[in-house]
This record gives sequence, structure tokens and C-alpha cells, in this order.
Amino acid sequence: MNILTALTIGILFAIAMYQMLRRNVIRAAIGLALISNAINLYLFSMGAYNGVEAAYSTAIAQISDPLPQALVLTAIVISAGGFAFVLGLLYVVSTRYKTSDSDEIEGLKH
Amino acid sequence: MTAYWLLPPLLLPFLGAPLTLMLRKQPRLQTAISLALMMAALLSSFALLWQVLMHGALALQLGAWPFPFGITLAADLPGVFMLLMSQIVLTAGFLYAAGSTEKVTRYPAFYTLFFGLATGLSGAFLTGDLFNLFVFAEIIVISGAALTANADDPFGVEAAYKYFYISTLAAVFFLLGVGALYAAYGTLNLADLARQIAATSPTPLALAGLAFLATTFFIKSAAFPFHFWQPDFHAAAPTAISAMLSSLVVKVGVYGFLRLTTLMFPQIQLLQTLLVWVGVAGILYGGLGAAGTHNVKRMLAYSTLAQIGFMLLGIGWGTPFSLTAALVFAFNHALVKAAMLMLAGAMASRAAVKSASFSVVFGVGKYHPFAGLLFLLGGMALAGIPPLNGFTSKLLIFWSGIASANYLSLAIAGVASIVTLTYVIRAFMKIWFETNPEAKPKTGDSLLAPALLIGLSLALGIWAAPLVNLAQVSAQWLSDPQNYIRWLVGNG
Repeated sequence: MNILTALTIGILFAIAMYQMLRRNVIRAAIGLALISNAINLYLFSMGAYNGVEAAYSTAIAQISDPLPQALVLTAIVISAGGFAFVLGLLYVVSTRYKTSDSDEIEGLKH
Repeated sequence: MTAYWLLPPLLLPFLGAPLTLMLRKQPRLQTAISLALMMAALLSSFALLWQVLMHGALALQLGAWPFPFGITLAADLPGVFMLLMSQIVLTAGFLYAAGSTEKVTRYPAFYTLFFGLATGLSGAFLTGDLFNLFVFAEIIVISGAALTANADDPFGVEAAYKYFYISTLAAVFFLLGVGALYAAYGTLNLADLARQIAATSPTPLALAGLAFLATTFFIKSAAFPFHFWQPDFHAAAPTAISAMLSSLVVKVGVYGFLRLTTLMFPQIQLLQTLLVWVGVAGILYGGLGAAGTHNVKRMLAYSTLAQIGFMLLGIGWGTPFSLTAALVFAFNHALVKAAMLMLAGAMASRAAVKSASFSVVFGVGKYHPFAGLLFLLGGMALAGIPPLNGFTSKLLIFWSGIASANYLSLAIAGVASIVTLTYVIRAFMKIWFETNPEAKPKTGDSLLAPALLIGLSLALGIWAAPLVNLAQVSAQWLSDPQNYIRWLVGNG
């Protein structure tokens, strides 16, 4: 199970990085969303298999570590907000520059 | 009970955000309340400094969770030193925004986002928890990017997009580091982490965590090979905001390195050597980059790259003396760079077309001799000429370099820093001594905030002792991480 999780996270990272490096800004934004999810899974996997019961349970011996879960919860909220913001920016960028090719969004070079 | 002094510098800006949003229909009231809140926050951080000097480091466990489990707010002297620096410059930034003619300051959520920036900065310097630092860094990124996207500059959106993209990558690296350290040590509390890392020799996983964190802080501080987004972003941001970005936001990365090299991983010499050479490269590249630009704000952004290099140099040398120098440098640079960017923006607002490009802004200074005086003083401070505060910072850096016998890196930095004088003088001559037929007497942004900041840097240049002493005590605290750990574990 550990190996399966590690492989899944690794593949997700690979796909996300490939998408992030593409010229199309919309694909790059999807890569950004994917990489935040990969990182959330990674954070979650730090404490995923240490216990089987929820933290409020009374079975002390089998309690899973609640901290990674709390971290992931925070990270999900931040990444969701960030992704919404990126999409908003992309909307303005694409209406202003009339392109989705990142090489043509180069107003700052002049 | 004294630990509650930690809260006001953080909570006042935090409350300011929703409050200003509620007052969006009354812009005058909104501005007045923002200024009042920020000044209250500044006063409360002075009070916090007093408490820390009286009682030692303060720690507050939020939600009353016992020591390593909850979120810890911690105020030790280095943190409060950085906090004070950011609150002073932030107050000046609010003052500048209140007297600004830029359209973006009339945007209803402008002060809300500005308070977001202030909360993130105060929080980053006051937190004692690694994940909490990540959250505050994200608050800074989102508010900074949103403010820049609304800038009067037509390329603001593009700059904000690029910045946000690169910052999200930095956040990914941060979380990778957090995950690695948590898997290795089972804690994210800075004091607890430091205690456990010191107790055992670092595992490969912890070293990977260190590498990820260092990458994050390199991106955040826009040090040399990670700087590519910085001049674009700082030049396109609204003036009041770009002054904050270039003087304070990059310091979060510098602060991260302070904690990494002194508190968490003091035994890893490689990181310190890396910082020295990254710093030297930044000083060279930033100086040459600034000399080759065609825009005042862009020039000052490149200059930040060089000045961050000096701070990394001080941190990399790692002696208490050079840490003192780095802290003093950070403080003085924040005052001067904010003032210079405000002056550049104020001149741009008086030009025929609103732009800080040399081809537009040249000769505009003819009707504004007072601004010229301020710009000249600020430029002298950047270049390190007495009696301005920049002289103190450079003197301390050079002294500490000689004292720790790092002659090679010192010599390169010393030669490269002469370039500062050429580009500052060039900008001054272009704006105040060339004739431009299109320049007309015109009112623009208020000069009050930059005048106050330049006045402060003049005062700190002539009477440098209090600042240097404070930095020296802070550096002593930094050099003794056991002290920090003892305070936090003891008070928790």
C-alpha cells in the first residue's frame, strides 16, 4: 500500500510538472492545480498509515496522527483559493492579450 | 500575562482587513481608520519590543494546547527586530497610499489587501511554527499579487500572474520541506525541531527538507539565480505596494535563512558557504542589472537584488558580528528602499504620462527640488555614503568580513558595490538635471511618507548606536539557539 501511494504521488507530480512546463497558459494552470493536489497527497501520506482510528477515538493505541490531516485541510483551502485566483488572472490575461501562448504574453519585456 | 503583548501587532492588521472591507462605501473614513490601525500596530510593536527587552522571549500557545502540539507564536529579539522594521515601513506605506493619486488606491478592497500584506508580514516574523510560516507567506503572496493585478500599470496583471505562478512553486517546495521534516522528526514547532535536530545528526530526509526549505527562501528573497520574476513584479506594482514588496516581502526569505542557519541547521556549513556565493553573485548581477535599466522603479528593484546579496553575505559568514551587520543592513535597506521607490513613484505621478521610464520621467524634477534633495539623500544611503544610515550598514558588513577573514568574497562585494553610486547618480541627473519641454508643474503623490523615511534614515545615520546595539543583542540571541529553545520549552 505504501508503494502504491508513493507511485501514485510520483506519477501525479510528473504529470503536473510536464503540464506546468507547457507553453499554453491554461494547461500550465491545470498543472498548477495538479501539483497542489500531489503535494496534498504527499503531506497526507506522512501520517496516513500510522493508525486506523480517528483522533477523537478512545482507542489510544490505534489513533492516527491528526496533524497531517489538519495540515492537508489548510493546504487544500489555500491551494483552492490560489487556483481560483490564477483562473481569474488568466481570464484577464487572455482577454487582454488575446492569446493563451505564454511566449506571446510578454508586455513586460519592453 | 505578558505573553499577550504578542497579539496586538498581529491582530490589529488582521482586524483591519474585514473592517476596511465593511467601510468600502466611505473611502475617507476607510483611509483614516486604516492609518489609525496601522499606527496603533506600530505602537504595539514598540511595546512588544519593550516587553521582550524586559522579560526575554515571549511565547503564546494558541488555543492553550501544550507546548509542541499547538500553534506557537514566539517573539524573540531577532523576530521583534524584523517586526519593528516591517511595521515602520508599513505605516509609511499606508501614509503614502493615503496621499497617493493612483487609481488603485481608490479600489474598494485596496486597504483590505494592504492589511492582508501587513498581517502576513507581522505573522511571518512572530510565528514559532514552520507550517504557520507557510500560511503567512501565502497570505503575503495572495495579497501582493492581487494588489499588483489591480495596478494602474497596464502590465500589472501579467506581472501578478508570473509572480503568483512562481510563488506557488515556492509554496510547493515549502510544503515538500515541511513534509520531509515532519516525517523525520514528527514536529513542526521551530524550537522543538531545533532541539531534535541538535540531539541527533541530521538524517538524509532532514537534509532533503533543508534543501527544499532553502530553495523556497531563495525564491522568496529573490536571490541571484531565482530573481528573474522580481524586477518585473516590483516595477509593475502600485507605488505604495512596490515599496513594501521590495523592502519587506523579500526580507521574509532573508529571515527564513536567519532561522535556518542559526536555529535549525547550525551545523550544516554547506548552506552558509552557498549563501556567501549566492550573495556575491547577487551583488554583482544586481549592480550591473540596475546600471543597465531604462526605468527608475526597475533600477531600484535590481538594486534590491544586490542589497539582498549583502544580507545573505552577512548571514553566510555566520559570526555574531556579521549577523549584526546583516540585521542592521536589513533594517536600513527597508527604510531607504521604500523611500526611494516612493520617490520614484511620486516623480512618475508628476510626469506627462504616468510612467517611471527614464524616457518619460527625465527632467520632471525641475519643479520639485525638495523631492530631488530626498532622492539624493536616499541614493547616498543606498550607495553607503556618510552621514546616511547606508554607511553604517556597509561599514559593519565590511568590518565583519575583515574580522572573519573572508577577504575574497568581501573584495568582490566591495568592488561591485561601487556600481551603486553610478546608477543612483545617473538616475538623479536624468530626473533633476536634464531639460524636458513636456515637464510642467503638476501635483502628484504626497511626499510626506518618503520624507519621513529619509529623515529616519538620516537620523539613524547620525545616531546609529541604538539600532546597532539592538541588532547586536539580537545577533547574540541568534548565535545561541539553546536560549531560544529554552525560552519556548520553558514558557510553553
